[in-house]
Amino acid sequence: MLSVDNLTVRTQGKTLVQGVSLTVQPGQMLCIIGESGAGKSTVIKALQGLMPGTCDHFRFDPIGLDLKGALPDMVGLPNTRWVMQDPLAALDPRFRLGRSVAESLHRLNLPVDERLSRVKSALETVELGPEFADRFPTEVSMGQAQRACLARAMIAEPRLIFFDEPLSALDALVQKKIARRMDELRRQTGMAYVVVTHDLGFAATYADHIILLRQGHMEASQTREAFFIRPANAYARALIDAARNLGALPESQVA
Amino acid sequence: MRAALRRFLRRLSLAVTCIAGAVIAGLWLTPYDPAAADFLDRLSPPTAQHWAGTDHLGRDIATRLLHGGLWSLGLSLTITAFGLVTGTLIGIIAAQSGRIGDFAIMRVTDSFFAFPELVAAVAVAGIFGPSTVNLVIALMIVSWMKFTRLARTLALTTSKQDFVTQARLNGLSQARILLVHILPNILPSILVLGTNSWSRTILAISGLSFLGFGVQPPQSEWGAMLLDGKPYMQSAPHLMIFPGLTVLISVLAINLAGDRLRDLLAPQSM
Repeated sequence: MLSVDNLTVRTQGKTLVQGVSLTVQPGQMLCIIGESGAGKSTVIKALQGLMPGTCDHFRFDPIGLDLKGALPDMVGLPNTRWVMQDPLAALDPRFRLGRSVAESLHRLNLPVDERLSRVKSALETVELGPEFADRFPTEVSMGQAQRACLARAMIAEPRLIFFDEPLSALDALVQKKIARRMDELRRQTGMAYVVVTHDLGFAATYADHIILLRQGHMEASQTREAFFIRPANAYARALIDAARNLGALPESQVA
Repeated sequence: MRAALRRFLRRLSLAVTCIAGAVIAGLWLTPYDPAAADFLDRLSPPTAQHWAGTDHLGRDIATRLLHGGLWSLGLSLTITAFGLVTGTLIGIIAAQSGRIGDFAIMRVTDSFFAFPELVAAVAVAGIFGPSTVNLVIALMIVSWMKFTRLARTLALTTSKQDFVTQARLNGLSQARILLVHILPNILPSILVLGTNSWSRTILAISGLSFLGFGVQPPQSEWGAMLLDGKPYMQSAPHLMIFPGLTVLISVLAINLAGDRLRDLLAPQSM
């Protein structure tokens, strides 16, 4: 569905990301992991056309894009959405949740009643009752706000959703619930996910494919199984060991 | 927080209505003409007939204060509203117009900042002669810059917020983002600055009228009344006390309301 070869991002003479290649299939989850400042977020910003980037080959099937060179400007396309780290920053404090969710449908020019019914069903898919449409972001919990962001991403039925640390602002129990719901939804709808995270446990549980970045370079690009059983290099091995010692990996991945 | 804000706005509008009602009722009920001289009853101290006494021409001070209030508050509100709207528009335009446009607009703003309000008003009065219209023009010319600075800064920071990026990704036009996301989010802070600016403008008008550059006699105005009373400061201090108290109280009231508004709006935790 989405395939990028040798992505490079430069701004103001500095190379932020170099030589990153990735491929996601429908219904798949790709996790980009790495320490802070490794360029994880830069990759997904560049892929959405929010930062200038170049690549050898770019393919995005839902709109039949197939090109090379500068990354296309995907801003405003209904085929991708972005769920951000901090739901309170991502929601306008002056918008009721329903209005924020409905904004995602802006391009479609739907009649009012259809828009309302789609907002309601989108809130339902993320397990929020219809009453949440009338609440302000500060009147709900972080988990509920992030669910609303997820609803906003889903409502336009995109083919691909980018997630930037979607769970790190939430407490453990809520993390688990939302992660599970995210996973179910991609299996039901065939949406592809590109998830930036430094939660190795999340990647170990849900990812199909893992990309490890370090200082803007790709250290590893492996399936989840391969990554945890035969990490491509010493850095990946060290990372996995550290997570294992902290008890941050699920049982199945503790060798 | 939202409930507290709503309660405050309700009380504020009640207070404003009461004051406006009292002023209008006072103007309607008062038996005196603010400009009618009565030389048999000059410099009378406060009495049952003249609650705030009479001035050097025998005019009723209370009536003149009510009339003058309409001018002081009305003119300053008009000037501030002009500055708020113009300044905010220019600031938002600066924030949107890229590096060079922003630089140009802000340097022009800075150069206007170099003119202190009083000097600008005195200069205009010196060139065109002292009159109310010239006073208003002069104060309007120097009224917009602080709104421009604030609106520009706020618009720049707000447009970097995640929810604006989301709106952009959702395909909203720049104009629409400005209208529905940026403007509503920066307006509260601008309104708070507006209340502050309003009370400062009252002081500026009164101050300039006191110096003789502003509202001209026989029109009553608080600063002009202070000027009228100055020669009688020793013998009939009420000529200056009542206009002075009126300025003090109204400026204080507006400032306090503005402070409360800021407290209620300041944390984004509304």
